[in-house]
Amino acid sequence: MNQENSNSAGTVELRGVSYIYGRGTPFEKKAIDNINLTFEPGCITGLIGHTGSGKSTLVQLLNGLLKPDEGRILVDGVDIWDEPKKQNKLRFKVGLVFQYPEYQLFEETVRRDIAYGPSNMKLSGEEIERRVVESAKFCGLDEELLDKSPFELSGGQRRRAAIAGVIAMEPRVLILDEPTAGLDPMGREDILGGMRSYQRARNSTVIIVSHSMEDMARYSDRIVVMKNGRVEASGGRTEVFSRSDMLIGAGLDVPQITRLWEILKGRGIELPDDVFTVERACEVLLDLLRTDLQTVKGR
Amino acid sequence: MQLYDIPVRTMNQPYIQMKNVCFSYNTEDGRPTNQVLKNITLTINRGEFVAVLGHNGSGKSTLAKLLNLILLPDSGSIIIDGKEVTSPDLSDDEVYETRRHVGMVFQNPDNQLVATVVEEDVAFGPENLGIPPAEIRARVDKALELVGMSEYRRHSPSRLSGGQKQRIAIAGIIAMLPDCIVFDEPTAMLDPSGRAEVMNIIRMLNRDRGITVLHITHNMNEAITADRVIVINDGELCMDDTPRRVFSQVAKLHSIGLDVPQVTELLYELGLCGVELPVDVLTYEECADLLIRKIEEKK
Repeated sequence: MNQENSNSAGTVELRGVSYIYGRGTPFEKKAIDNINLTFEPGCITGLIGHTGSGKSTLVQLLNGLLKPDEGRILVDGVDIWDEPKKQNKLRFKVGLVFQYPEYQLFEETVRRDIAYGPSNMKLSGEEIERRVVESAKFCGLDEELLDKSPFELSGGQRRRAAIAGVIAMEPRVLILDEPTAGLDPMGREDILGGMRSYQRARNSTVIIVSHSMEDMARYSDRIVVMKNGRVEASGGRTEVFSRSDMLIGAGLDVPQITRLWEILKGRGIELPDDVFTVERACEVLLDLLRTDLQTVKGR
Repeated sequence: MQLYDIPVRTMNQPYIQMKNVCFSYNTEDGRPTNQVLKNITLTINRGEFVAVLGHNGSGKSTLAKLLNLILLPDSGSIIIDGKEVTSPDLSDDEVYETRRHVGMVFQNPDNQLVATVVEEDVAFGPENLGIPPAEIRARVDKALELVGMSEYRRHSPSRLSGGQKQRIAIAGIIAMLPDCIVFDEPTAMLDPSGRAEVMNIIRMLNRDRGITVLHITHNMNEAITADRVIVINDGELCMDDTPRRVFSQVAKLHSIGLDVPQVTELLYELGLCGVELPVDVLTYEECADLLIRKIEEKK
């Protein structure tokens, strides 16, 4: 238990990992091609890439749903395929929330659905209850909804319940595959904001697959760009989002604010590089306009 | 819709008229739920491109299903192309005939393709309308050409990207020669390049083929190019105006859980901090112009 809670726990390393679908058939396709990558605790990594770039295959490899054809995957230094019989332990450590997870709810009440994961971990009733309530809170789910049937909830609420079910296992590594697809702007902010609080509270490793550059600009610390089964780029937000040509070449887009920034710079305005969100752009522009204001007053 | 000649866009003639439309779903035991749509009165003109916004559960998709007669209103009337489709005297044949004129494309590309070969999928609609085979052949070829998917006509839809699948779904609707197409979040599940592919096709169908378009979306940047934006909140029609006038009401949109394009948001935030700027701005260039002027003024 102490070991599990230490800050170092939750490092995932991929070493020379490849994965091939339909090997030996006419449809053979190398979905993951020799990837070397490390995910570390204490930050949210945004995983972006065009459809078919290998993002979903990659996340399934990370929690052992798929077995790599080549290379090794290490969680806290241990190869996850060393002892295949202990795979369920790995799943408690590496939690994966699939796309559209709301279709996977099955229990009679939301409370029992969220409790399903922790119940399989041989925890006390009290501990399970604590986890259920806490994870519902992280996901922005009102406590009064816990005793309803999942089918009485709205789509957005069901999505939150499903995410809470994975969080309740308190995984060191939490992976979410497009957690906000199809949600309205407020729903997106609630879920991503909740994941940010969860990551901070537990100092866990969080990986979010997303198609929204704006969301990733706002909520991630690091970005990994996938293209045709390979890692096209990885690094801090500034590093990745300032390479517009690379992003567009990878079938992606740049955040809207980055577009505006490029136009302003192109017209000779001197601006810092690390600006991808409305909040930050606002700060920088206010500074610029205020300094100028003071100069005017000084005259 | 005419597949072969290019009609002129005429936007002054009503195509769909809804008068005091109310709708509620029934629960399992047959009791009506709360009203999903409350007293909606709305006119969509022939050839218009109308974006429909609203948070999850606001009633947008229900509205779409009423237009296609998948659902019938509890009260009020709907007139499509001069025919009152809610009239009890309408025969089943007439209902089917009207459905042909208003096509629908849904969010999930995997849920709306039925055949194992692309061209058979596109032929599914016209086949069900009892169109003679030679005419079906012509329509399928033309529809695939319009969405730029001719070279994939003998492929299996399952091996296409999300954007390509949506284009096939659109071709399937085009082959039924509709006057109007309702798109229910057609880009929600796509990556940025897939989103751009689909949006280009939708704009082309409207601009060059005179198809009336209702586009339901959570993506504010897709809505800015519409002729008109309709906002639905809790089943009521809450805004109906040009994109510029709708998106300049930033506080109102925020209060009902919606976003505005990031450039508009930026100008609004600057305004809250005391930098006076107009907010009726939608494009990067307009926003850059305003900011540069402001910066130069201060010098």
